[in-house]
Amino acid sequence: MRRHQHRTTHDTGRAEALRLVKVTKTYGAGDAEGATVRALDDITLSLPTGTFTAVMGPSGSGKSTLLHCAAGLDRPDSGLVVVDGEEMTGGTGPVRSEAQLTKFRRTRVGFVFQQYNLLPTLTVAQNTVLPLKLAGRRVDRGRVERILGSVGLGDRLGHRPDQLSGGQRQRVAIARALVTEPSVVFADEPTGALDTRSARDVLSLLREAVRVHGRTVVMVTHDPVAASYADAVQFLADGRLAGRLTAPTADAVAERLAHLGDDVTAGV
Amino acid sequence: MLGLAARSVRQRPGRFLATLLSAFLGAAIIMTFNSMYDTAGASGVDKVSSDTLTTAASVVGGYGTLLVFFAVASTLTVNVRQRTEEIDLLRSTGATPAQIKRMVVGEAVVVALVGALLAIGPAMLGGRVLLDVFKDSGQVADSVDPSFGPIALMSGIDVTVLAAAGAAFLAVRRATRAAAGGRRKPGRARTVASWAALAVGALAVCSTFAMKATDAALMAAPAYGAILLSVGFALVSTRLLRTVLGRVEPLVTALTGASGYLTVRNMRQRAAELSGVLMPLILFTGMATATLYMQAVENDAIKASGLTRSIEDKNLETLNFTVVGIIVVFACIMLINSLYAATSYRVREFGQQRLAGATPAQVLGTVAVEGVVLTVTGVFFGTLAALAGILPFTAVRTDGLLPGQGLGIWITVVAVATAATLVTSLATARRGVRVPAVEAVALAA
Repeated sequence: MRRHQHRTTHDTGRAEALRLVKVTKTYGAGDAEGATVRALDDITLSLPTGTFTAVMGPSGSGKSTLLHCAAGLDRPDSGLVVVDGEEMTGGTGPVRSEAQLTKFRRTRVGFVFQQYNLLPTLTVAQNTVLPLKLAGRRVDRGRVERILGSVGLGDRLGHRPDQLSGGQRQRVAIARALVTEPSVVFADEPTGALDTRSARDVLSLLREAVRVHGRTVVMVTHDPVAASYADAVQFLADGRLAGRLTAPTADAVAERLAHLGDDVTAGV
Repeated sequence: MLGLAARSVRQRPGRFLATLLSAFLGAAIIMTFNSMYDTAGASGVDKVSSDTLTTAASVVGGYGTLLVFFAVASTLTVNVRQRTEEIDLLRSTGATPAQIKRMVVGEAVVVALVGALLAIGPAMLGGRVLLDVFKDSGQVADSVDPSFGPIALMSGIDVTVLAAAGAAFLAVRRATRAAAGGRRKPGRARTVASWAALAVGALAVCSTFAMKATDAALMAAPAYGAILLSVGFALVSTRLLRTVLGRVEPLVTALTGASGYLTVRNMRQRAAELSGVLMPLILFTGMATATLYMQAVENDAIKASGLTRSIEDKNLETLNFTVVGIIVVFACIMLINSLYAATSYRVREFGQQRLAGATPAQVLGTVAVEGVVLTVTGVFFGTLAALAGILPFTAVRTDGLLPGQGLGIWITVVAVATAATLVTSLATARRGVRVPAVEAVALAA
């Protein structure tokens, strides 16, 4: 396999789950001058394995673009995305096809979305093991029961998504994201459509995945309370990194967010 | 803004165009054939010409109209089903079920009306061409003038609008009920409708035996029967398909892996919705096989009876196949139309599959396996409906039971059905897979 050849040389060991180097992404037509939007501007970022990071910023700050590029769902215009020590997009190797990128993501990346994105025709158990099925891997029934049990849905294996509440659906999505034991789990506003109680359950599960199982979680959110579950908050404004807060509390995050706009305005 | 509008049209081009196209083509076909009534009714038309024209209008025009009705209805059903999200949105913004129904049905009526009005010009032209073909074959006197009158106009508009409004109403009623949280019951009306279609179809087929071998309208009864049986089979087959798929699942997954696995789950869950695509497929296979074989048998019988001279013989053959061919081509276009509309809507589902780790090839594989299962089912039931029409017709018209034409026509029909199904769904899915997965899942939300 060719892709093993371009393993990065500056390997900092197992300790780094995700690294972005000078990632830039621009939207808009290339020919229309001034109509382009620089969604990501020279982002360099490194996240150690076993951390829970929240990415925050005002609307249009590039949060979602950052997540999509880091997760390999979108290709940066320039720069490098390295997952678990291996280049995913960018870099010197040959450009991966959509299929190659999908196969790369399967084993290394898990997703949780605001809109759950469960397949309505599959049951809870079938949705959970879908990534394994698609990868052609054997599915161990006991493991499915264990993982769904751990998200509190051990008695709902045969239900369909439309028979579940929003919080339950999101917990299925988390089980599905964790089933392949990925290096990084990306969560895009995972509590955006949930009530406070369900949101707390979902956030606790994500934190548990990090603390107990050693996963790495990157979560985009606009909710300071959700962000307070993370180990660190990475702020973003106008496509640039705008500071970092470790051991965040909801109040500290809200305070920082409120003044994020000031800093940017002052910086212009 | 222009870019946004263009993109939205590109993402969901099937929605509006498919409905318009089916209404337009349907109305054009009905008006073309029914304008023969108008032409025959004009003053100064001799008895022979008038009889020929009236027979053409009542036989081919008759079953053609029935076919158009179901074809337009099935396309409309596919289109309204796609709007569940929009209906949910309307509901949450305060629209009552009655308001939603009025909106969706009203829209369907407007689109059908526009399609029918657009069809007037082409239908007038088509009527002229058809009359010329009749004249060339010597069936109609050269002095007969083409006429496009109230019968053509009213039948064309009425049937198209009625089919569109009826289908839209049934589909939107189901959608609003589902949105209101009502549990989807197996559908008693649906069961009754499917058995009624099968019963009436069987009656029509049987009534062939009550007719004389030389009756000009002999083809009508088995053709009506074949259409109704096709519709009945389309409604019943989805339930059957569910059971059969459950049985053959190990085989399908062993042969096609994860793609087949997804196909089986999808098709078993969405069995009811599949009838929207199965109906045009069964209708096409059934209609094409039945009418082409019956026409071939009829032509041979005329030839054998020695009623016409050889040049007229040839002309008559051409005429008959032209008339039947129009209906067959229409059925094929409707099949492609429905499949395109049904597949282009699934961009979001494809996006979700890809986010769960499916490669584009696996997504296309799912669509391909589904296409194969659909084709096998459609061809099987279509052939069954066709046989139900062909056998009585052949038995009455000739001494034998099976037509002496061999399998050639059937194989051609099956090949066309297979190609139309697979090429349409795969080409549409391929375009759907080109949309980035994240964008695809955000489309309908």
